[in-house]
Amino acid sequence: MLCIQGDAMNIQFKKGVLEICVLSVLAHKDCYGYELVNEISKRIDIAEGTIYPLLRRLKDEGFVTTYLQESAEGPPRKYYRLTESGRKEEHELKDEWTRFTTSVNALLLGKNDAAE
Amino acid sequence: MLQNELEYIRLLRERLEGTLPPEELEDILSDYREHFSVGKEKGRSEQELFVSLGAPDTVAREIKATHFIRKAENTHSWGNILRAVMATLGLGLFNLVFVVVPFIFLLVMLAFVFLVGVLFTALGPAAFIISVLQILGFWSLNLWLSPVAGIFFSTGITAVGLLLVIGDFYLARFFYHIGIRYLKWNIAVITGTEVEP
Repeated sequence: MLCIQGDAMNIQFKKGVLEICVLSVLAHKDCYGYELVNEISKRIDIAEGTIYPLLRRLKDEGFVTTYLQESAEGPPRKYYRLTESGRKEEHELKDEWTRFTTSVNALLLGKNDAAE
Repeated sequence: MLQNELEYIRLLRERLEGTLPPEELEDILSDYREHFSVGKEKGRSEQELFVSLGAPDTVAREIKATHFIRKAENTHSWGNILRAVMATLGLGLFNLVFVVVPFIFLLVMLAFVFLVGVLFTALGPAAFIISVLQILGFWSLNLWLSPVAGIFFSTGITAVGLLLVIGDFYLARFFYHIGIRYLKWNIAVITGTEVEP
C-alpha cells in the first residue's frame, strides 16, 4: 500500500495491531465490551467505536464467544470470551509479532551502531 | 450537533439502515447502547463517550466494509463483490487506484476471453459442417487446403472455443477468490483489522 506521512502512519500502525491486542487482553480474562475497549484505549489512542465491529468479526470467525452476565450496577452486560481456536490464533499472532518486532529492532539498533 | 447517546445511535442507524439487515443492525447498535450505559455507570458524560467512540461516520464505514466483505465471502455473486468493493472504497480514496483499476481490467479481460470463446464455439461447428458438405460435394467454395484439413481445423477451433468459455468460468471464480483476499488485505491495511480467509 502507499506510504502515508507522519501521524497517519502512526494510525496505520495502531490499527494494524488492534486484533492481537484484543485477543491478548481476552487471553488473560473474559471482558465485557466497555471494559475491553477501556483496556485497549488506555495504551493505544484510537477511535474506540471501531473495536466493536472487530469483536463482531472475531465472533463470526469463531475466535470469540459472548455471554450475558448480570451486573450489580445496572442491566446485564455482554461478556467476550476467547475460544480454543481464539487462543491458538492469539499464540500465532503473538509469535508473529515477536518475530517481526525483534527483526525490526535488530535493524534499528544495527543502524544506530553504524551512525556512531 | 448534540453529542449524546441518542444522537450517536441515531447517526449510526442513519448510515447503516437499509444497508445492513435489521436484526444485525439492532445487534450492532445494542453494543453501543451498552457502551454508553456502562460508561455512564462509571460516571462519564454522554458527550465524553460520544467523542471517545469516534466519529459515527468512521465507525459506520468500518461496520459496513466488514459486513460486505464477509457477505461476499459467504455468497458468491457479482453484486456482493461489487458492494464489497464500494464499501472498501468508502474507507480510503487512494484505494481507487488499487481496487477499481485492477477490478475493471479483470472484468474486461474475462469478457474478452469469453467473447473469443463464444466466437470460436460458434464458428467451429459451422466450419465443420462446411467441411463435411465439401467432402460430400455439396459445397464447392475452397476455404482451406482440403476438406479433411477443414475437419481437423474446425474441430480444433470448437475445442479451443469450449476450453476458453469453460476456462473463463474457472478463471472468473479464481479471480473472485483472489479479489476477495485482495479486498481483505486492503481492509486490513486501512482499518488495521484482519479478516480470516
